[in-house]
Amino acid sequence: MPTPFYAPDFAAPVSSPWNSDQDETLRCVHVRQETHDVKTFVLAANGPRNFRYLPGQFLTLELEIGGEKINRCYTLSSTPTRPDLVSITVKRVPGGTVSNWLHDNVRVGMELGAMGPSGEFSCFKSPAKSYLFLSGGSGVTPLMSMARALHDLGSDADIVFVHCARTPADVLFAEELTLMARNMPHFRIALVCEQHTPGSNYAGHLGRLDAARLAHIAPDFLQRDVYTCGPAPFMAAVRGLLAGGGFDMLHYREESFSFETLVADATHAPDNQEVPPDNIEVNYKIELQKMGKSFTCPSDQTVLQASVAAGFRLPSSCSGGACGTCKTKKISGTVEMKHAGGIRQREIDQGWFLPCCSKPTSDIVMDR
Amino acid sequence: MNTPLSAQSLLTRELLARRRPGYSLEAPFYLSDTILQADMEHIFGKHWIFVAVEPQVPEAGDYITVDFGNNSILIVRDDDMKIQAFHNVCRHRGSRLCASQQGVVGNIVCPYHQWTYDLTGKLIHAKHMGDDFDPSGLGLKPVHIRNLAGLLFICLAENPPEDFEQMAAEMTPYIAPHQLSQCKVAAQIDIVEDCNWKLTMENNRECYHCMSNHPELTISLYEYGFGYQPNEDNKADLQRFQDIMAANHERWEGMGLPSAEIDTLDDRITGFRTQRLPIDRSGQSQTMNAEVASKKLLADFVDPALGGLSFWTQPNSWHHFMSDHIVSFTVLPISATKTLVRTTWCVHKDAVEGVDYTKENLTAVWNATNDQDRRLVEESQIGISTGAYQPGPYSPFTEGLVEKFCNWYVNRLSVLTR
Ligand code: FES
Ligand code: FES
Ligand SMILES: [Fe+2]
Repeated sequence: MPTPFYAPDFAAPVSSPWNSDQDETLRCVHVRQETHDVKTFVLAANGPRNFRYLPGQFLTLELEIGGEKINRCYTLSSTPTRPDLVSITVKRVPGGTVSNWLHDNVRVGMELGAMGPSGEFSCFKSPAKSYLFLSGGSGVTPLMSMARALHDLGSDADIVFVHCARTPADVLFAEELTLMARNMPHFRIALVCEQHTPGSNYAGHLGRLDAARLAHIAPDFLQRDVYTCGPAPFMAAVRGLLAGGGFDMLHYREESFSFETLVADATHAPDNQEVPPDNIEVNYKIELQKMGKSFTCPSDQTVLQASVAAGFRLPSSCSGGACGTCKTKKISGTVEMKHAGGIRQREIDQGWFLPCCSKPTSDIVMDR
Repeated sequence: MNTPLSAQSLLTRELLARRRPGYSLEAPFYLSDTILQADMEHIFGKHWIFVAVEPQVPEAGDYITVDFGNNSILIVRDDDMKIQAFHNVCRHRGSRLCASQQGVVGNIVCPYHQWTYDLTGKLIHAKHMGDDFDPSGLGLKPVHIRNLAGLLFICLAENPPEDFEQMAAEMTPYIAPHQLSQCKVAAQIDIVEDCNWKLTMENNRECYHCMSNHPELTISLYEYGFGYQPNEDNKADLQRFQDIMAANHERWEGMGLPSAEIDTLDDRITGFRTQRLPIDRSGQSQTMNAEVASKKLLADFVDPALGGLSFWTQPNSWHHFMSDHIVSFTVLPISATKTLVRTTWCVHKDAVEGVDYTKENLTAVWNATNDQDRRLVEESQIGISTGAYQPGPYSPFTEGLVEKFCNWYVNRLSVLTR
């Protein structure tokens, strides 16, 4: 099959933006092996198109695997400042149906159903002077997208880019990060590897990201806006570190990088297609039983955020799951809660939850 | 240059200096607010105070508060299962942090403006304090705490008495076999006595009054265990008690249960006394029939007749460790004339209420005894307050431990107020 390469006409006016409602498929134009188990799939629209999105947002791929329709979200590793193509960077995951299928089947020229982009996790939504990007494994993708965009725009933002990997052989985008650091006056990289790879010349941090390492890497982290992406346990550890260090969690944002990898890393939930990825928007109804009121909460917002947006004032203070001020009895429904010590497992077992750090996964009735 | 002394401290010093050994203390020791202040500053402020048992905070996040004098102390088990103690006071504007006597927390949150401390006392959240706010110097104020085989002692002094370690080394072999940390609190009862805390303690340190006042307690307890004047009538009984004690001590020691008396009540800063004492009748427990109150024995015990290991500490506790349960007493001053006596009964954590034990049977003896003792010390307080009181002589046979309590108290206060 000939390479379907469309050379754009650079003399022509800017082409129209890609719209997933009209162009329902993307075509793979390039596959890059990043590490032994990570590949980047570069995708183009059919015909000249401009991709417009916020760095950090994700695409939803509509795939047919084994006769079944499966949707999966992947954050884009590409940058909208190079608008002709998008890319996703995918790690093989033991037992990960979709990721492994992509690795084994997607070849240049192949068409994939795609929707989006969407998502809230982007530093371009609330720009700051200084950032701390914390990534674990292939959670680097949305942060890479943000960094690439800032780099291409000539930003002089102060960025500390931390990438945590299992071994030096698992580090992603090492050369490109080095290049960006050379080009940007205030861009610093720190690598943290759990183990050494024999024969590598790796000289970064060895071990896990802990309070001491964090203080060493970014002594001024309290002043930075933090963006975190990685497996659930990694993000939980980061929240603990930050809350423990007195960080104001209002300046904290996180994203789980891909549903499939998240599940595999958290090792509890099965590869279950019924559970929506937490970055696909669904609206749930939240009922305040005592007040006899209710409001709507999108699945990517915390119950507290949605209650504020709806004009209700539920008690809160830290908004980060540490202080327990918002603690409320849940009469029915389920949430995904990411607290920072403000609640005990025993209390959770008794039906309490923290609305400030809980996203709904069903309709909820609260004892308020 | 010496700081000038107030009239009050001169009075305290003079009272201490003229205490007559072998006699009870002068009235102001039981009545005066000034002396109570000195007691709070020097006795309760600089010594190891027994406040709780480990089963009161079994799980991470469990807390209790302990109030005495003007102090409020927060004791909490952190996520590493370490027990921490802090002043129960917010570093913002001083609000008391936890108002209940016990509960569960994730982090410690001030109810006033929600300053939030983790369970190691670190301030981790304070809203509206600006960008330059440095939380690092604003952690909760720690209080020294030691866990002696399940008994929790705190010390408010900056430099606590170091001989606690010596007591712990000597006492651990005695107490550890009962495995208090594997127990649960089956009952805890607070009573407030209208008397000075020293009257409560003195009353505890003698059994002169037992035979005529404690019908329930003396079912199981031999009154001879605390000294007795020999005479023709009791000669045989006394001898029988000595023989029982000797035979049992040999048996218990052979089972790995240290039993011999250790008495440092008035010759150490952290003074204490211990002895494993025989129990009358079946020899099992302090109950209304001297048999075990809980069918589920403590630790790996198979023999219910292990007597009662008694442990007395200066200035504020006593304990009885038996084969089936442990009963602990904490004495905490509220004011010069009000004292809290907290009694805690522990049984094996797997013992089932209503099946292995009933609360009623477990607490019967000491509820009755505490009530009788409360009346005795309140009558003493009333008599002393009339003004007609004058220190009287102690019995050389039965009040030796009262004398040791007073000696320790007078010595410690004299040294510390010098
Ligand atoms: S507001 Fe602090 S835990 Fe929810
Ligand atoms: S007094 Fe505790 S937060 Fe204000
Ligand atoms: Fe008594």
